[in-house]
Amino acid sequence: MIDLVQSLIDGLGRGSIYALLALGIAVIFGVMHMVNFAHGELITVSAYVAFAVGVTAGWGWWAAVPLVFCAAVGTSVAIEFIAFRWVRGSSDFTMLLTSFAVHFLVQAIFVMTMGASVRSFPRPEWADRVWSVGDLNIQVIDVAVIGATAATLAVTVYLLQRTMFGISLRAAAEDFDAARLMGVRSNKVIRRAFILAGALAGIAAIFFLMRTGQARPTTGLSPLLKGILAAIIGGLGNMRGAVYGGLLLGVSEVLLRSWLPEDLVGITDGVVFALIALFFIFRPQGLVYVRSAERV
Amino acid sequence: MRLNRLLVASLAVLALVAAACGDDEEDAAEAPAATTTAAPAVEEPMAEEEEMAEEPMAEEEEMAEEPMAEEEDMAMEMSFDVDAALDADLDNCGPAPTGDPFIIGFAADLSEVGGFADIPISEAAGYYVSLINCAGGVGGHPVALVIEDVQGNPEVAQRATADLLDAGAHVILGPPFADVGDAVLQTVNASRAVIFVASTEPVLPDPSIYSFMTTFSDTQQAEAAAQFAIDNGITRAITFSSEGPYFGYNPETFAAKFEELGGELVLDVSYVPFEDFDFASHANEVAGAADGTEILYTAMIAPQLDALRGAIEERGIDSIVYFGADAFGVSGITVIDNNEGVYWTDHGFGVDNNRYQRLNDGLAAAGMPSEAPGFAALAGDAITVAIQGFIDAGSTDPLAIAEAIASLSGVEAVTDTIGYAGTDGTPDTPVYILQIVDGQTALAARMQ
Repeated sequence: MIDLVQSLIDGLGRGSIYALLALGIAVIFGVMHMVNFAHGELITVSAYVAFAVGVTAGWGWWAAVPLVFCAAVGTSVAIEFIAFRWVRGSSDFTMLLTSFAVHFLVQAIFVMTMGASVRSFPRPEWADRVWSVGDLNIQVIDVAVIGATAATLAVTVYLLQRTMFGISLRAAAEDFDAARLMGVRSNKVIRRAFILAGALAGIAAIFFLMRTGQARPTTGLSPLLKGILAAIIGGLGNMRGAVYGGLLLGVSEVLLRSWLPEDLVGITDGVVFALIALFFIFRPQGLVYVRSAERV
Repeated sequence: MRLNRLLVASLAVLALVAAACGDDEEDAAEAPAATTTAAPAVEEPMAEEEEMAEEPMAEEEEMAEEPMAEEEDMAMEMSFDVDAALDADLDNCGPAPTGDPFIIGFAADLSEVGGFADIPISEAAGYYVSLINCAGGVGGHPVALVIEDVQGNPEVAQRATADLLDAGAHVILGPPFADVGDAVLQTVNASRAVIFVASTEPVLPDPSIYSFMTTFSDTQQAEAAAQFAIDNGITRAITFSSEGPYFGYNPETFAAKFEELGGELVLDVSYVPFEDFDFASHANEVAGAADGTEILYTAMIAPQLDALRGAIEERGIDSIVYFGADAFGVSGITVIDNNEGVYWTDHGFGVDNNRYQRLNDGLAAAGMPSEAPGFAALAGDAITVAIQGFIDAGSTDPLAIAEAIASLSGVEAVTDTIGYAGTDGTPDTPVYILQIVDGQTALAARMQ
């Protein structure tokens, strides 16, 4: 029982990062009906910023946190401005290809400019600390990321439900052309959606990088895949579902890690994907189903 | 008119003769071309034999001594001094070598897959070649480096290698991983030597097809770690492993050697390379099995060790000895916070202005500080081996160079001495064991 509770806590910590990424992917999907495969590059750029701050400049995480956050937001806005703005209104396939192009372009730029080596940077001292509660070992970083995810979700829900930005975003998600006819400025609402997605990715990047302490050109790939997976599990485009999907994915990974025989631990991801495939056979709409018009 | 024609014809013949004689003298005195260095065994002795047949007996003794003198001259001209190259001043080079170039092709993986090794290697190789040419080349022959990107893809590697062969590469340098390396070997088809610069995969070297490595294999580095642990009185081990040639093979080999030497493997824990950073459950396993006297051996990257060690120490186990494979050296072991006392195997050590240090200092001074000093030094080693093969072969015949490389021994290279005679294509170079002591990298042992 203790092991199960321990795994649930560890899984919620891991899943919270997936949930933050899935939220960003859900926001962009809601507005543009596109799975943004360039979303992981926000993590990659943030990782190199953390490396520059921590190693090149020799500053601590007090400086890295705001800079990583700003880097993610700035990169998200830049990607929208440089790439997606010019294919807006094109077919879904064109936009999907554009997101792939951005993903590979950013990766190639880092290989050319920074090399393909792993760049390590110091992690915060408290990242490894553990609080012992009876037989449970609760990692401080898990508590921090779970708390941050809950707070971020609350703020995001408030933004979407109670502000003019949220109303225009939801209107654009429901019917982009009708929203424009009603006076919603498309450039503005999409740019703000990318700012929100970048902010969510920035918060995820802070905790992800505090845990990993490394930058390489493919840093964002694995979190991206997990984020997309979480968003799909939750019901693509649904905010609440994205959070549920992220948490479920994280808990599944940790549980499988502890339950699988030692020889099969290396295929944890494979087993997770197989379970997800099974899940979609029985519930193709995802955990939380909403009609397209209600997404976001 | 006829007299004029005869005069012109005579002058032309004289001019041709003079020109021919002049060329020979220049070749002999200044820069014996690749074909000239190959010639002593084939062409020149024949020409001399013809002359000797016509010369009086009295001159035979002199003639008999001449080939020896010429061989000595050529040996002197074709020698290669690593130190002289490393000391060359790129802002003040001597006359450019004018002989036929000795061409080294590099099938480099510059992608995100193998770029961690081959990007710094290609930069260092270019710099080292420029130093060699600045110092006069090899016996008057410039060294040319041709790089083709294999992009971490076996099919691309085949095309890239074919391009290198078309470019006339006399020796090929290979990428770090076996799948792409095999494609290079297949394309080369034993027509010349392939020297894998950074690879430690034991499946690659095979002298029968002229496939060589520049550094130790995973077998050697893992066994050296086990030997070092036993030599230092450690008898209990924990390994962190994952399926696969590097992340799995190294811990497996370590464990086998450790047990063979009388040690006990307490626990083997699986993890996912590059991906696992939440080591809570792993640390719980270690805490349940360890008593603090163990060595923890792994081939994971340094940031993962940082997270793992932090998680283990948070559970009260803080006296384990941490030991990693050469991945530590190129993934920031010197940068992470929790690195004090950590050991790892590496390819060399920069100290006291040795070659390793001079090459890396030179790269830094040239505005190209290497992100992987060990790999930069291996680039120097690989090129030195290729050049020594060229010198020993006395020819640009790729097969002769390949045969010569297979017989090399005691070559003074950048990291250490290198030899292949009597080996399986893995050089008899030592394994360096480094350690972080007081925040600085220190040499703990040099295991031959």
